[in-house]
Amino acid sequence: MSVMQNNSEKAKWYLPGVLGGLGITMKHLLVNLLNRKKMMTLNYPEEKYEYSPRFKGNHVLTVKKDGSLRCTACMLCATNCPAECIKIVAAEHNDPHVEKFPISYEIDILRCVFCGYCEEACPVDAIRLGPEWQTPGVNGANFIYDINHLAYRPNLKGGIQTHVDDEERLKSGI
Amino acid sequence: MPKCTINGKEVEVKEGTSIIEAMQQSGDRIAHYCWHPGLSVAGVCRLCMVEIEGNPRVQIACNTMVTEGMKINNTSEKVRDAVKWGLDFHLINHPLDCPICDQAGECGLQDQYMEYGKYDPEMAEAKVKKHKVVDLGPTVVLDSERCILCSRCVRFTEEVSKTNELGIFNRGDRSEIGTHEGVELNNKYSLNTVDICPVGALTSKDFRFRQRVWYLKDAETVCNGCSNGCNVKVYFNKEGFFRVKPVYNEKVNGYWMCDEGRDIYKFVNKETRLLKAQVRNASGWTEMAGGAAAKNAHEVLKNTSGDSLALVLTAQYTVEEFDAIVSTFVNEFKTKKVFFWINNKETFDSFDGLLLRGDKNPNTKGLLKVLEKHGITATWADLTQGLGNGSIKTVVVAGPENQAVFPDLQERVKELSKAQNLIWLQAGKDDALMSLTGNVWLIPTKTFVEKDGTFINHAGLEQKFKKVTTIVSEALTLTEAALLLAGKNLTIPTATAQPFMPMNQREDQVTLEARKKNEFVFRRGSL
Repeated sequence: MSVMQNNSEKAKWYLPGVLGGLGITMKHLLVNLLNRKKMMTLNYPEEKYEYSPRFKGNHVLTVKKDGSLRCTACMLCATNCPAECIKIVAAEHNDPHVEKFPISYEIDILRCVFCGYCEEACPVDAIRLGPEWQTPGVNGANFIYDINHLAYRPNLKGGIQTHVDDEERLKSGI
Repeated sequence: MPKCTINGKEVEVKEGTSIIEAMQQSGDRIAHYCWHPGLSVAGVCRLCMVEIEGNPRVQIACNTMVTEGMKINNTSEKVRDAVKWGLDFHLINHPLDCPICDQAGECGLQDQYMEYGKYDPEMAEAKVKKHKVVDLGPTVVLDSERCILCSRCVRFTEEVSKTNELGIFNRGDRSEIGTHEGVELNNKYSLNTVDICPVGALTSKDFRFRQRVWYLKDAETVCNGCSNGCNVKVYFNKEGFFRVKPVYNEKVNGYWMCDEGRDIYKFVNKETRLLKAQVRNASGWTEMAGGAAAKNAHEVLKNTSGDSLALVLTAQYTVEEFDAIVSTFVNEFKTKKVFFWINNKETFDSFDGLLLRGDKNPNTKGLLKVLEKHGITATWADLTQGLGNGSIKTVVVAGPENQAVFPDLQERVKELSKAQNLIWLQAGKDDALMSLTGNVWLIPTKTFVEKDGTFINHAGLEQKFKKVTTIVSEALTLTEAALLLAGKNLTIPTATAQPFMPMNQREDQVTLEARKKNEFVFRRGSL
C-alpha cells in the first residue's frame, strides 16, 4: 500500500475543511427537520426495513393445502448443504400417497451460511429461504430450528403453501 | 472353447456361455435389468441389446449363446439408440418417486438413464396408476408403480427359495407383481428379492427410510449368524450399522443369504452394547475402563490359578482369539478346565437345503480345533460338578455376541453364578448379568465387525475377515483380554514397513512427490 502525503502549504489550512463538513451536517439537519418523512434513518426496532423478496434470510418449510409438511425427507438438502447444518429423521406416513415424511427436521442456524443450496436441491419446493433476517436468540438451543419453527412460526401465519399439491400431482398423472 | 470378439477385444469363453456372461468376463459394461447371474434367463427387459456382425437386427445378449468367431459390439449408435428407446418404454409409467424411493442412489433406472437415456419424454398420456404401499409379508413392502416387471423376484421364489409366492398378474400396462391369493411373501430368504430388485419396487421393512444409501459406507465380512459363514457386506456410518447384503462366493453362499443373517447388525450397534466394564464386589457395582477391569480381575486369577479356575467359551469368537485365551489358561494358569458352551445341541446338524444351518455359531469348528490342539477333553458335567462341590472357585466366561441365539443364557448365568468370582466377557448388555450378586467382572468385548480374524464354517472352510470399524473403543478382543487377565500389558503394534521418508533426507523436508501421496482424493459414490 502506498501512502500519499500532501505536504503543501495549502494543506495546513484545516479550518475550511472543518467548516465545510459542519455545513453538510447542518444542511442534513435542517432538511430532516423540515420534512421528517424523508429521513434516511429508521427507529429500529420499532421500524424495520424490508428487503427485496429475493433476499435469502431465515428458512421456511412449506406446507400443503391441508397444512401438513411438503417435505418428503429425501435428504437432498442435507446432502447438498456445505455447512452440514441440516438434520432430518424420516418416517413412514400412514397415508400411502405420502409414504415418507420427516418426523424431525432441524437446522443448526449458527452453522448455516445462507447459501441457498438447500433450496436449489429440493425437488419438491419444500424448503425456501424467506425474507426474514432477524435471528436473535438467548443461548445455543434457540439457534436450532425445528419443524415447528421452520414451518409454523407465528410470522408465517399458518404456513406457506407450495404451488403443487400431492393430490393435484396425482390427478394430472405426473 | 469358442472365441469371440467383443467391442474389438478377443475373448475366449466356455461352451454354452451367453453373450452377456462373456461381456461380464471381458469387463464390458452392458445395460440390463432382468438378467441376474443366479437366476434363469427371462429376456423381458430388452435392454441388453448387442449388434452381431452379419445380423441386420440388434439382439438381446442374455439369451444368445456365443459361437465361434462371433463379432459382437454394444457401443455402436444403433445399439445405444435401441437401449435409449427401450428405456423410454420402461419409464412410461414409472413414477418420479426418487425423493421417496429407498433405492435412489443405487437404482438401475437412474444409472441406465444417465448412461443411455437423457431424452425428452414424448408421452402425452397420463401415467397408469397402480398400488402404492402394498404389504407383501412380514419383511417386504411392494410399490407396484415403480416395478418395471423384470420378474427377477418371481423367478427367485420359483427357482431359489422354491416357495412360489409371487407372480405377475393382469396384462399389458396394467400388469403388476403380487402374491397369489391367500399367500404372503413369508419365507426365510424373502429379503433377497429386495436385493435383486433393480428399482425400488420391493423395499425391506427393516431398512425402509432409515438412511439414504449414499450416507452409508460398506465393507465385506463374514456373517456370524450361523455356521454356514456366508460372505456379506455390512453397511454403516457414524450412527451405526444399518443393513447386511450378500456377496457372491460360489463355494459358500452363491448370490444369496437368509433373512436371519440380515439381523446380525443389530447386536453390533452401540445401543445394545456394553460400553464400559462393570465390576462388582461386596460394596456394589463400579464402572471401569475395559482394560482396567481385566487388570483388576488378574488379582483374583493370580490367587486361584490351577484346578479351581475354569474357562467357558462360546463358539462366537475367532480362531485366533480362542487360541490366545486357551493357551493363556493352559500355559499361564495351568488349568485344563476349558468348557464349550453349546447353545442348541439338538439342532446343530439341521440344514434347510439352501443356506441356513441349525448351528447358530459361526466358529464351532474353529473352537473344537483349538480345544483339540491343546488336548482339552473337559465336559460340561465336570463344570456342573465342580461348581456344585465348590472345587471351581473362579470362572471366566466368553459369552455370546449374538445373544438372540442363546435361549439358555439366563439359565447358564444362574448356574455359573455359583462360582465365587465370575469374570464375564461379553459384547452386549444383559439384564441377567447386571442383576448378579457376588464378585462379578463384566468386561466388554469387540464384535466380529471390530476385529480381524478367521471363522471356520461347518464344512471346515477357513474364512479370514478384516476389521470394519470401531464402535465401542474400550471393548477388548479375547486376545487382549487374555493378555491382561494374565497380568501382562498390551503392546501397540508398530509398523515395520518401509519408512515413508527416504533415508537421505532431512526429517522435515517433504518432497513434492511425497506431498502428492498424501493428497486427499475426493470421491463421491459410484454413481
